[in-house]
Amino acid sequence: MVQAKQDGQLDLLQGTLDLLILKAVSLGPLHGYGVLLRIQQISGQELVIQQGSLYPALYRLEHQGAIASEWGESENNRRAKYYKLTELGRERLGEETEKWQRMAGVIGVILSATAE
Amino acid sequence: MSSFFARVVARPRSWMRAVVGRNRLEAEMEAELACHLEQLTDDLVRAGVAPDEAARRARIALGALTATKEEMRASLGLRWWDEFWADLRYAWRLLRKSPGFTLIAAASLALAIGANTTIFSVAKQLLYERLAVPHAENLRLLAWTGTEDHVAVHHIWGDYDLLPGGRVTSSVFSYPAFEQLRAQNRVLGDLFAFKTTGMNATIRGVAQRVQTEMVSGNYYAELGVQTQLGRPIQPSDDQAGGQSPVAVISDGLWTREFGRATSVIGQTIKLNDISLTIVGVNPKGFTGAKNVQQSPDVFLPMAMQPLVFPHTDSASLLNDTKEWWVNVMGRVRPGVSDATAQSELDGQLGATVRGTMPVRPNEDLPRMDLRDGSRGLFVQKQMFAKPMAVLMTLVGFVLLLACANIANLMLARGSQRQKEMSVRLALGAGRARILRQMLVESLLLAALGGAGGLLAGYLGRNAIPKMTENAWERTEFQVHFDWRVFAFTAGVSILTGLLFGLAPAFAASRAEVSHGLKEAAQTTTRRRKGMSGKALVGFQIAMSTLLVIGAGLFLRTFAGLNSIDVGFRTDHLLLAEVNPPEGQYPPGKDIELHQQLERALAAVPGVESEAPAFGAYISDEINVTDFLPEGVAYDRNKKQGEDYNTVGNRFFETLGIPIVAGRAFGEQDTRSSQKVGIINQSLARSRFPGQNPVGKKFVTSRHDSDGHGGKLAEDWIQIVGVCGDTRYANLRDDPPPQFFLLYVQQKQVESLTYEIRTRMEPAAIVPVLRRVIQQINPDLPLVNVRTQNQQINAAMQQERIFVTLTSGFGLLALALAAVGIYGIMAYSVAQRTNEIGIRLALGAQPAQVRGMILLETTWLAGAGIVAGVAVALLLTRLVKSMLYGIQPYDPLTLSAGVGLLLTVALASSWLPARRAAGVQPMKALRHE
Repeated sequence: MVQAKQDGQLDLLQGTLDLLILKAVSLGPLHGYGVLLRIQQISGQELVIQQGSLYPALYRLEHQGAIASEWGESENNRRAKYYKLTELGRERLGEETEKWQRMAGVIGVILSATAE
Repeated sequence: MSSFFARVVARPRSWMRAVVGRNRLEAEMEAELACHLEQLTDDLVRAGVAPDEAARRARIALGALTATKEEMRASLGLRWWDEFWADLRYAWRLLRKSPGFTLIAAASLALAIGANTTIFSVAKQLLYERLAVPHAENLRLLAWTGTEDHVAVHHIWGDYDLLPGGRVTSSVFSYPAFEQLRAQNRVLGDLFAFKTTGMNATIRGVAQRVQTEMVSGNYYAELGVQTQLGRPIQPSDDQAGGQSPVAVISDGLWTREFGRATSVIGQTIKLNDISLTIVGVNPKGFTGAKNVQQSPDVFLPMAMQPLVFPHTDSASLLNDTKEWWVNVMGRVRPGVSDATAQSELDGQLGATVRGTMPVRPNEDLPRMDLRDGSRGLFVQKQMFAKPMAVLMTLVGFVLLLACANIANLMLARGSQRQKEMSVRLALGAGRARILRQMLVESLLLAALGGAGGLLAGYLGRNAIPKMTENAWERTEFQVHFDWRVFAFTAGVSILTGLLFGLAPAFAASRAEVSHGLKEAAQTTTRRRKGMSGKALVGFQIAMSTLLVIGAGLFLRTFAGLNSIDVGFRTDHLLLAEVNPPEGQYPPGKDIELHQQLERALAAVPGVESEAPAFGAYISDEINVTDFLPEGVAYDRNKKQGEDYNTVGNRFFETLGIPIVAGRAFGEQDTRSSQKVGIINQSLARSRFPGQNPVGKKFVTSRHDSDGHGGKLAEDWIQIVGVCGDTRYANLRDDPPPQFFLLYVQQKQVESLTYEIRTRMEPAAIVPVLRRVIQQINPDLPLVNVRTQNQQINAAMQQERIFVTLTSGFGLLALALAAVGIYGIMAYSVAQRTNEIGIRLALGAQPAQVRGMILLETTWLAGAGIVAGVAVALLLTRLVKSMLYGIQPYDPLTLSAGVGLLLTVALASSWLPARRAAGVQPMKALRHE
């Protein structure tokens, strides 16, 4: 499941962890480990996430009101802290997704430019 | 919109939750990370890794737990909070480690903040508080000015003040003038009238003296005041003839006499023997329209005046155009400027005066002067503006001094810790972090001082009103603790603490680490570093000199007043007033009453001697009338008035005033016998120089008080004796020329003050006297009962307050200066241990070293003292009028102050000097 970094895996771009967490959580409530799994799963194991930086990011997002947490039972009957997206988080996810796509588009255009 | 709100509150809410539920948060973080580890380990095991190896890999993947948790806390904004607590704990430990420093710094701050809060609260209440009515700032008080000699108004019952340039001002009007102004007024809201005066009341069977306010029917409506119980006085109550005998009472009287029972409505009270029905109770805090300190007890309709408070000549003042007595107020009308209103009212006043009173060709009309009415008549301004200004200045100096003290202590401490700072920097502390820690330390110290100041200010808020109380009058004057004043003084002192705490911290944080660490070992010569500290101590000494000299001047004034010989025996002399209401005791009857009272009082066991007098001495009252010896023509342009007193037979015997020629009054002087008078030595000297006045005759009041006409006093008064001089209105003025008349030979006297010589305690004999009077008339209260000495003490009240406060300030200043000098010299000696060691090793005598330190102190103190004396000489001139018997540059006070400061300076540097002299050269050189 979780392996050491393999060749060809990508490091996360600076500042995108928050966006990924929001996206992961938007698909349904998750505990911290679940967030990690879901991002890696969706990315097809292409991304490496520093696990140590996951929790500070979760706390930061909760502090900002973008996600909310609740203690509940995990799939294997452990007590786990589940995060879900708040209304505020949903707005922010929308904004940041749009911003990201514009940025990606612009960078794509620039990179695909050819000499006249 | 809602998301905006959520965005704004999210962080503070999360932060609060984290701070409040800190233990739970820590446990949750622990649990969450543990959960992550377990799941990760499980997944690894499932993928085929051995359990031990799986756990190890999981721990590696998650990284250092402590660091992660720290970052999680930082995500919640908890880092600075945690560091702040750490700083606070450290600061607290440091302060506890040097209790002396902490105590002195915090206590001096506390005293200065407390004293300033107290004085400024009192000043604010006395000079800035407004009437407790809605929109008091819109109230305007009508007043007028005129020339002192020729204004057409001659009969004034109310305020009357001299202005520069031979003009006078007053805020009273005749009632007809008020009515006309009210009818014509288009520039202010409806005008209303009021008059405050004392009356005899019988409330629940007890005769007492009360303050009353007679008000026009629209008074309550215009002020916008609602009663808390019952109804206010209405226009229908103020109809002619006093058909509506109603009264509204104050919250104070309701509490005092009726225990706040609602059944008070409908009860009757007697005012000057007229029954009034209570219809309402004023709200708490409402003090009437005249002042903001104390409420009159009873409010009654103006229409009751002819019945309740009849006047000498014509019972009703309501249609008397000559007597000016009512105060008039109105609210500003929107869109009308004060200048417009004043000029319009001025025209109306002129017309009113011409229309209602005789105005002679050489007389001038009163000119309208529209004043701010938001503080009532604001008489306290004249009384208190200057003393309060002086006190505020002095207490401000105390604050400066305390700030200098804090600054000095912080600076000294900062330089002591230079090395500690260098070590911290060397170990990798950030400069901002060091600055913040110093800031927290200063803040903690300031907070301790502030808390002490809050306590002192709160407890002390009524200290000054207490000092202004006298033994026989009830006062309700209470100073509210003023948060804004406290915030200001606390803010100033705390800011100083921070500023001066930070300055050395800033210097330390900028210092080169290596330099700081090396420095202490190299201190062999004097450095300029001590300069700012010395300047501060010099400033402290200057301030102390100023405060000590100020205290000395007021002390000398007080002592001077205390040792005055007033000219009569003040011990064992009881004073008590009887005011027979005119309605019940018309002219003639009042004299019979007083004769009856005199006989009854003289018969009381324990009364050695008694005599009534019109004016009690040293009570700020004075009576003046024309004194015209036989053979001297009346000249209207020459001042003929002399002070006089109307007294009983045994007055001179009772007061112990010596008769130096002729005889005293006696039994042979009766209503029908030859009118007699006695003059004092000063009057004999000024009016009968080189002659024997005994046997000479004079008249009083040759003219009526208009200054016109020649109403002839038929009866010549014969001088039968000359008595010794006495002070009259106050202690400060020299004994004035004075003459004495017999009350039994007057047409009317109304109120008299009985002077009773008795060896009994007042508490023992006063109830007996009251009983005796009540047997004659149960509605007649004995009021203002006090001893002559209490009266004199009350006259010296302001001086006493000044002596108490300024001495306190002076002592505090001396203590702070001593601390400052000790601190700077001790620091200086500690810094120069090496230098001193070298000096001693090279052969200096210990006495020389001691002398060197003491000389340095003397220079420092000398500079401060010279500056202080210079400022004192400038400032004390401003309080000249408050001093007695000395000049502002009183040499004794100045030299005593200088001597005291020098002594304190040398005494407080004695210890450091001795320590310097006792330095062991070898030890000192090995010192570092």
